[in-house]
Amino acid sequence: MFAYFSLFTLHLSLVQMAAIRTQKEIRQRAPIWLVVLLLTNLVIMAVDARDSVTRQRLIRVWVQALISPAQNLSSGASGAGTNFVRQIVNFRSTAAENENLKEQLFSAQKELRNAEQAATENERLKGLLGLKEQTGYEQVNARVIARDSSIWFNTITINRGSSSGIALNMPVVTGSGIVGRVIALSPWTAQVMMVTDEKAAAGAIVGQLGGSGALGSVRGLGAKGLVEMRYVSGLEKVEVGNYILTTGQDGIYPPGLTIGEVVQVNPGTATQSHEILIRPGAKLDQLEDVAVLLYRAPARPAPEQTLPNVDKTKK
Amino acid sequence: MPQLKTAAALAVAIILQLCLRPPLSYVDLPLIVVVYIALQRHAWHALIVGTIAGLAVDAASVGLIGAGGFSKTLTAYLIYVAATRVNLENTLLRIPVLAAASIIDSAIYVFWHRSLGYPPTMPFMQTLAYRLIATTIVGTFALYLLNSLFTERARQRRTFASRRKGARRGPRKLGR
Repeated sequence: MFAYFSLFTLHLSLVQMAAIRTQKEIRQRAPIWLVVLLLTNLVIMAVDARDSVTRQRLIRVWVQALISPAQNLSSGASGAGTNFVRQIVNFRSTAAENENLKEQLFSAQKELRNAEQAATENERLKGLLGLKEQTGYEQVNARVIARDSSIWFNTITINRGSSSGIALNMPVVTGSGIVGRVIALSPWTAQVMMVTDEKAAAGAIVGQLGGSGALGSVRGLGAKGLVEMRYVSGLEKVEVGNYILTTGQDGIYPPGLTIGEVVQVNPGTATQSHEILIRPGAKLDQLEDVAVLLYRAPARPAPEQTLPNVDKTKK
Repeated sequence: MPQLKTAAALAVAIILQLCLRPPLSYVDLPLIVVVYIALQRHAWHALIVGTIAGLAVDAASVGLIGAGGFSKTLTAYLIYVAATRVNLENTLLRIPVLAAASIIDSAIYVFWHRSLGYPPTMPFMQTLAYRLIATTIVGTFALYLLNSLFTERARQRRTFASRRKGARRGPRKLGR
């Protein structure tokens, strides 16, 4: 009996010692596991960082494709909830808003007539400049379903992807101006870098094509919500309130799209360009519906083919 | 099984994080789950959960894949080390833990992006402040909720609740 009891006690103490040793081993091995996992993440980062911006990562395509149903559902639910709350809040001011909207409609109709006249003039000027529309473009309507999940980047996700005919670098617009360009794709979703992103840029002109010599390029200013126009000669006339349009020379946006309105001008000189700040025409913090233009920039001739004495029949 | 519950909580946190929009997206839900696991002093679980949570959010973002995994793994380890040395069972003590985790995670994430030539476009201090406040507030409640649902003590409390009810009614008198 005593032998059995002593064996049982010995067995219990051995089990206890084994448990203590396991806990010690866990604490000792945790740094090794940490280093292995950190190195794995570093390798993944290094591979991702070496590639160019437009090449896709399969894992990103798969994750975007898998998560898009949940994002669609969440967007629909939050949109319905927001609309309901908005209806309640706006109920009292509906009558006054109705009057206001009628006045706006009247002035919009007047502006439309002016715009039609300007479009006719624009066609004449385009002919003078030798611009040709080499490609027409259709559009795909889409809805914004998410913002960047890490919150550190200025991108949106829309609910249309490569299955709708969208390709990388296609322009994304709203009725009031450009939004950005497509930088990542999955079959059912696309990620769009907004024009206010610091890496975003576009060729721009002040006023209408052919009506102004104030050519330049716009660049995003990050979270300020503005874009900056650069390389505009200090001799050109630029005023607050001028509209900025795309020139089509960047190979991404077709010419004639609204970028925004000038809100601040620091005048330049003969040797220094203007410093121009622009508020984007599209309301980028309230985006719900956008359109992706199925636009491909016309192919440019090779530089040597444009020289005057080159034999253009040779390839 | 605790691993299944952890996986479910992590999956829900990641899916919600990918669907939320500002200002709700400032709450770092996967980080809250990572901090919870690390506070349970499960080293291996905390490191794996941190890696998976970070990589999942990276894959859906335009940032570098691996930066979030790196930052959340390292944050998980630091929280685990702190939990093994200091008793962090108190709810009030978890508030500075969440705040520190949010700061460390964001700082490492932005550091790697800037080092590798992919600087984030959002302003650092402003975004960090919003994330810190949102994650700390929501995380305090979330940790309390996870604690009440998943810990062994909570399970025992639920199991013996019926026995305690019976004990309070008093002993039954025989013969009646």
